[in-house]
Amino acid sequence: MSWANFLQLTVSGLAMGAIYTLTAKGLFIAHLATNRLNFAQGDFLMIAALLTLALRGLGIPVPVVIVAVVLILGFAGWGLERIFIRPLDRLGFRGGGEYSWILTTAGAGLVIQNVAELVWGKSAQYSPPLFSGRNEPVRFLGAGVYPEQLAVIAVSVLVVAAFYWFLFRTRWGKSIYAVAFNPDAAVLLGIDVRRMVVLVFALASMLAGISGVLAGPIVSVFPQMGLVFTVKGLAVAAVGGFNNPAAILFGGVLFGLAESFSNYLNSEFGDLLPLLFVLALLIVRPTGIAGGRKAAAR
Amino acid sequence: MKTILAVLALSLPAAAAVDVIKVGVVEGLSGPPAITDFGESYLQGLKYAVKQYEEGGGKPKIQLVVYDDEANPQRAVSLVQRLIQSDNVPVVVGTVSSGNVMAFAPVLQRAEVPLIAGPSIATNITTDFIKQKPSYIFRCSMVEKFQIDAILEWGVKNFKKIGLIHSTTGYGNFAAKSIEEGLKQRSASLAANEAAAPGVNDLTPQMLKMRDAGVDLVLNFHESFELVFRPMAALNYHPTIAGNWGLSSLKVEQVVGAKSLEGTVMGQALDQSTPEAKKFDAGMKKEYGKEYRWPVVAALGYDAGQILTAVIAKAQSADPKVLRDAIENVDGVKAITATPSHPFSPTDHECIKANGVFLGVWKNGQVVRLEPKR
Repeated sequence: MSWANFLQLTVSGLAMGAIYTLTAKGLFIAHLATNRLNFAQGDFLMIAALLTLALRGLGIPVPVVIVAVVLILGFAGWGLERIFIRPLDRLGFRGGGEYSWILTTAGAGLVIQNVAELVWGKSAQYSPPLFSGRNEPVRFLGAGVYPEQLAVIAVSVLVVAAFYWFLFRTRWGKSIYAVAFNPDAAVLLGIDVRRMVVLVFALASMLAGISGVLAGPIVSVFPQMGLVFTVKGLAVAAVGGFNNPAAILFGGVLFGLAESFSNYLNSEFGDLLPLLFVLALLIVRPTGIAGGRKAAAR
Repeated sequence: MKTILAVLALSLPAAAAVDVIKVGVVEGLSGPPAITDFGESYLQGLKYAVKQYEEGGGKPKIQLVVYDDEANPQRAVSLVQRLIQSDNVPVVVGTVSSGNVMAFAPVLQRAEVPLIAGPSIATNITTDFIKQKPSYIFRCSMVEKFQIDAILEWGVKNFKKIGLIHSTTGYGNFAAKSIEEGLKQRSASLAANEAAAPGVNDLTPQMLKMRDAGVDLVLNFHESFELVFRPMAALNYHPTIAGNWGLSSLKVEQVVGAKSLEGTVMGQALDQSTPEAKKFDAGMKKEYGKEYRWPVVAALGYDAGQILTAVIAKAQSADPKVLRDAIENVDGVKAITATPSHPFSPTDHECIKANGVFLGVWKNGQVVRLEPKR
């Protein structure tokens, strides 16, 4: 393999890995505080990508679009918690027991998909690049890279850094960890648990928003695109161990690179090999790379 | 004796003219974008033909009973059973996925209800049944073998190295097999053969392989038609792309861009430069606006509709057997596509013949006939 090829595969692997990381990050933060996941995370990404397209179609400048989409998605996260998760808690066993949120969040995903189909049609859409002209890659060392690929890699690293700071250095972050550790004790310490839960779901959806905005131009945008990202995001979060932001970044990078290189080595099973690798890893280390010997603190 | 006769008379199909004939339609109308684009476009053409028939005062009236098979074979089979058993349709049209058609065609053959298959393209759909006398399975669509033959014939003459990117679905693997066999018959072989899962988002690795193998013609048989084009600028690699008739979709043009698509070649069965095709095109644009996105598929749906309406008007019957015979003998079809005016015979149930398939090429934002090199 030539250096140029190596570089090319690395960049495209990193870019896809970055999108998976952002998706996994959204799954991780919601899981951290509430022990729940948003199975519609990929569909939130899809709706963000389509919203970006629609708003840009209205001639709104890109920075405004990005802020708007991320905010809209934040609200969507709040709505998801409010409509699809909180009532279940209130209903307790009448709400279907401990795991009914799996169905309700996945159901939310289906609803979003169908709404998207009604509004934008079922076909794949073209999403123009955010920062450059069409098909204008930057060249270095024999490889061609789209600015969006670099942007998504940079953003995912930034987001991980921000998460680190937020979770371990701010009061809110500590509150989230307190809620994660023991919600009842958190209440006794004067933490508004409900507010924290809403906060994490809003944050998770904003992450889907960011990844949707950035991923749109480098993948095909259509209403059914979300599931692949949910599945791969879950795989990445599982590799990372669901409890450490840096490990999730590592998992995402690993998964993206594995995907890109395995497709180069053997395209017949290129998509299968990374998932097999995740399976194997989970057999050896069920708690992921950074997970301790025991599962979560709970 | 009188009562027996009365009962017999009641149970016999009414010989008098029927008012409304139901036509069952199964199409892929949700699921992967490529499937829906096929399904919706074919249905648009079919509906347009029925609309014209009714505007022309056609009798009996035609009622389309449309179901969405979601590209799912089990669902397709149960929908066809529902059409036969509870909707009592005497004729069925559909669907996109060849696998689905192969799953429900035997059901229709057994029930002796005629099928006009489309826009599915697997080669063996009609040939599997043609020996059963009579066969109830007809088709108005592209035939995979015909388009692959046309592409390979042209490919081996004009290019040094041919590569293939196909999906790992039933369709993609089937296409790959026929391409490899076709090349072997022409004493050629693939310089590179790469696969990709149906849900992938990035074909950079596969296209790198093509570039390294020095491939100058990439055969694109992946359902996400646009993926092959995406890495081309980054890799600074611009081979000719040829493939499935799906590449003629206006949706592909929107996603890929006219500039990148320029020179891309695909199997075709509709010459868009004829006056009839232009008239059809204008009519469809008026009828469906932006929703009309795929001339060749819509035109085949329209021709299937023309055959159906002609047959129903002539037969004046809701008896599936009568309709089957009428379809086989239909004559005077003024098709938009390469469908001849007397398309079917007891040994041939295809609208499109091998000589009706030609190569189309994207030129200035339109698919035109590929002129052979001098």
